[in-house]
Amino acid sequence: MSGTFERRLLTRDRGNGWLQKLWLIPWSFVLLLCAVAAVGYVALYSAGGGPEAYAAKHAIRFGFGLVLMLGIALVDIRFIARFAWLGYLGGLALLVLVLLHGNVGKGAQRWIDIGPLQLQPSELMKIMLVLALAAWFQRASWERIGNPLFLVPPAIMVLVPVGLILKQPNLGTGLITAIIGGAVFFAAGVRLWKFALILAGAGVAAPIAYEHLHDYQRARITTFLDPESDPLGAGYNIIQSKIALGSGGLWGKGFLQGTQGHLNFLPEKQTDFIFTMLAEEFGLVGALTTLGLLALVVLFCFAVALRCRHQFGRLLAVGLGTNVFCYVFVNVAMVTGSIPVGGVPLPLISHGGSAMLTTMLGFGLLLSVYVHRDAEFGPARD
Amino acid sequence: MNFIPDQPAEIAPPSPHAAPAGRPLPREAAPSHALVRIPAPELARRAQMERTRGRLVLAAFGFATLFAAVGVKLTLATILDPLAPRLRPAARVPTGEPTVTRAPITDRNGEVLAVSLQVTELYANPQEINDPIEAADRLLTVLPGLDRERLIARITQRNVPGTETPVQFAYIARNLPPRQQQAINNLGIPGFHFRPAERRFYPQGSAAAHALGQVDVDGRGIAGVERHFDARLRDDRAPLRLSIDVRVQVALREAVAKAIGDFNGVGGAGVVLDANTAEVLAMVSLPDFDASDPGGLQRRAEGAPGQRAEGAPGQRAEGAPGLRAEGAPGQRAEGAPGQRAEEQAGGPAPTTGRRVPVGRGAAAAAAVPQDRDPHFNRVTVGLYEPGSTFKLMTAAMALDSGAANIWSSFDASRPIRYGRFTISDYKGKNRVLSLPEVLAYSSNLGAAHMALLLGPQRHREFMGRMGMLQRLGVELPETARPMAPSPQHWRDINTMTIAFGHGISVSPLHVVTGVAALANGGILRPPTLVAQPEGAAREGTRVVSERTSDIMRRLMRLVVTDGSGKGAEVPGYFVGGKTGTAQKTGPRGGYLQDKRIAAFVGAFPMNQPRYAVYVMVDEPKPNAQSHGYATAGWVAAPAAGMVIRRIAPILGLVPETERAPQIQQTISIPLQPARPPRAAPPPAAAAGAVPRAGNAPAMVPPGPVIQPPGPAGSQPPPLRRTDAPMGAPAAPGLRLVAMPPLEAGLAAR
Repeated sequence: MSGTFERRLLTRDRGNGWLQKLWLIPWSFVLLLCAVAAVGYVALYSAGGGPEAYAAKHAIRFGFGLVLMLGIALVDIRFIARFAWLGYLGGLALLVLVLLHGNVGKGAQRWIDIGPLQLQPSELMKIMLVLALAAWFQRASWERIGNPLFLVPPAIMVLVPVGLILKQPNLGTGLITAIIGGAVFFAAGVRLWKFALILAGAGVAAPIAYEHLHDYQRARITTFLDPESDPLGAGYNIIQSKIALGSGGLWGKGFLQGTQGHLNFLPEKQTDFIFTMLAEEFGLVGALTTLGLLALVVLFCFAVALRCRHQFGRLLAVGLGTNVFCYVFVNVAMVTGSIPVGGVPLPLISHGGSAMLTTMLGFGLLLSVYVHRDAEFGPARD
Repeated sequence: MNFIPDQPAEIAPPSPHAAPAGRPLPREAAPSHALVRIPAPELARRAQMERTRGRLVLAAFGFATLFAAVGVKLTLATILDPLAPRLRPAARVPTGEPTVTRAPITDRNGEVLAVSLQVTELYANPQEINDPIEAADRLLTVLPGLDRERLIARITQRNVPGTETPVQFAYIARNLPPRQQQAINNLGIPGFHFRPAERRFYPQGSAAAHALGQVDVDGRGIAGVERHFDARLRDDRAPLRLSIDVRVQVALREAVAKAIGDFNGVGGAGVVLDANTAEVLAMVSLPDFDASDPGGLQRRAEGAPGQRAEGAPGQRAEGAPGLRAEGAPGQRAEGAPGQRAEEQAGGPAPTTGRRVPVGRGAAAAAAVPQDRDPHFNRVTVGLYEPGSTFKLMTAAMALDSGAANIWSSFDASRPIRYGRFTISDYKGKNRVLSLPEVLAYSSNLGAAHMALLLGPQRHREFMGRMGMLQRLGVELPETARPMAPSPQHWRDINTMTIAFGHGISVSPLHVVTGVAALANGGILRPPTLVAQPEGAAREGTRVVSERTSDIMRRLMRLVVTDGSGKGAEVPGYFVGGKTGTAQKTGPRGGYLQDKRIAAFVGAFPMNQPRYAVYVMVDEPKPNAQSHGYATAGWVAAPAAGMVIRRIAPILGLVPETERAPQIQQTISIPLQPARPPRAAPPPAAAAGAVPRAGNAPAMVPPGPVIQPPGPAGSQPPPLRRTDAPMGAPAAPGLRLVAMPPLEAGLAAR
């Protein structure tokens, strides 16, 4: 029975069982990730009209990401938990740095250059926030979580990075970060009425916040409500995307046959609108298959959470799963015109080195949780 | 730790799979029924995990639902309710006034001077361009003249500076020919659009640039006739017929340009006026500009050759004035023209009446002194001291008022001292001169005495009547008000200096208009740039009598036959006129040594004047042919002669060489006319005026012939400060400190 084997492995040979740990890695999940990345390769091949533009880079990045992920998977989860704080503080520092010295792209300061890599600290921050929150709630009992004062520090931990991200300004990522934080709170056991209170407060504050949004952010919301009102302006992307979806039909036009994408009607077809590209060329079948693969990835995150025996790993898995879910949901909902355009990439499919790096980092942590799902943390303290 | 009542402190281990995995079971716990001793906090933690397990399932379920929702939505968008591509609506772009067609402008013979043609403009919506670099590179295959870096910057998605509104409109190129438009269309780059536009073309190039003025990029007149008749040109499609004769215009321009070149001047001006209708047949101000190149790209390129080296040929070839500042960066498309209209409402600079279209140009214009600004119209805006040409005014005033007669004589034997100033003659005869001699030899002393016969008040009145104190009514926005002493400050000394054209500044058009009135029988008409109906007499004001005008014609003819204006003589056309050399004033007042204006004003043919001519060269330098002279007699008079020689045949005037002696007889006047026999008034002395004799002076036969001087021209200002220190340098000494307000005004010009 493998369970016994694992238990022995983790207790006796702590820190010395790298090879044995490799066996514990859920290779089916790695295979699933490879399948998703392969879909991305095909889509990017089409978007770039060949492998040179995006697809080759995508494959190389995924290869590096795999190595990174597997490396992290072998790191003891308790070690990770101990230094979660450092990661969080580092993420915050990067966020501040990007505000001060970041590259301005498309009207917002979101990137910083690290060597050849363009890093989006907000992506990294989401993972670091999940780590820190999981570390905070790890030893908390039901009663302590019931104490509102106990919730003040983690609330601040969420609000500070969210505020910094909104300041960039990046409304979409800021909201997603808040949602991820909320998911960890929820999984940790924060009382439901508190969520109801916060949601009610948000409902009241929304009209006020709307007044303070940037014009382009408002334009996205109003365009979302009625894309046809501005077909050449902000509604352009959504309309072109929907036309591409509609032209794909059930089976699609075929690989490299998508006119909307290839004639450049589709904006950002290698990043935010890659899913549209897929749907046009491979139809509803291809789109749903891709969506299903990504749903499996999210499902695995929750499976890991349920299997995990320590609160840290569980919360970490929930947070990471929520992160992937938000990526996928927001992106697909966006290209189908279901929610306002947010500029969120599709994990493992969209072009972009920074997103690939952070995504694989997250999966590495997830695998570490899985590998060390039975690890024993010290006794909870008051 | 406070447990709530329903939380037991110790519980039996739940199902085996919930046991703390990863931790070997304690040996003591081997007996199956024994309670496992588990620390309370650990228990609480486990309880916590059990409680939240449900939440995880709930969350997973929620996520699955949302996945299903987007799946459904995807199905809807893909096969159940697909959005069919529909035709683009007609481009919603800044169209301004799409169909306004500006009326053409022609010269008096119907020759087209300005015409609007339909062209195509290329613009981009950066919001629709996903890959600016690729789009730019593809566009550059058709428009290689565009600057790549700037093009990429313009089509990159960005916000209007200071706002969050994305830029949705950026000009790429104007005035595309159809072939290039088709080529760009074939590229099929999304985000590039065309729109029809109008462009003003000036087929005659720079020929009548100052008179025509120019339009801005939106087709609004911003200078010259284009501005003055802006509303008319928009509302009425019929061509606007100007009084300009493009043939005369070209001839005049060439002659003035040659004179500037010969004498290395910084600029020049010329006017040809119909003496009887005051229609402007030609108006030249040099340096000038190519009316079809309003931005002055070529001029700037000469100034900074390196700046657009690679872009230059292509841009010229396609006729696009390059990448201009976009109309209204990123305003919603419709907003663009409005914003530019506001800029336009700000109006052109009042002095030059033009608006420099590009920022860089504006800076350059500010740096260029007026003298070298090609947009500066010397004819109507340039104010210059008229110098000796004004002696015609003085003589006409004295004759017309009866204060002097042609046989009047004036003491030019010794300088006039007035306060600290001394008026003297340039190459003076140092004797008493007759009135014709005063003009022929251009005697400042004689003119000063002549004007003093009437005194400051009547002098000023006459100048006002001649239009020398008011802005001209010509149909141009660019006109300047003459600078003259105010009534309180117009004293004897002013009258004396203004008598020979110093201490007053008027535009060249003022001078030629006044001289035309003196020559045409005494009727002053405001100059006009609009063609007048054939044969219709224009309203005018009588400024001098027919008889005075007749004498003036003879006197002007005398200057050309026997005086400083010999260079203007063209056999058979009986040219008459007057030269004038005046020193220029410096930026802070005071005259500038060696910086002169050399001018000739005249009319022809003097037996029946048809046209008045004015030629001026700014800052001529002596050359070898002029024997070291740069005076009007050497510079401007020959240029005027050249103009007349060329334009007279164009205007249908046949040289009357065969009857020349007879005609000459009717327009001649002796240098020293004798007093008519019947009347015997005492000769007018320098100090006093002779009461007018009742009858007209008979034209007595020529008196003793006096060898006239060479083309010595007229004189620089003769005022000298007598109190100047002995060793003082000459230049600062030549200051007209007696007229500080006027000088201050000149400085501000």
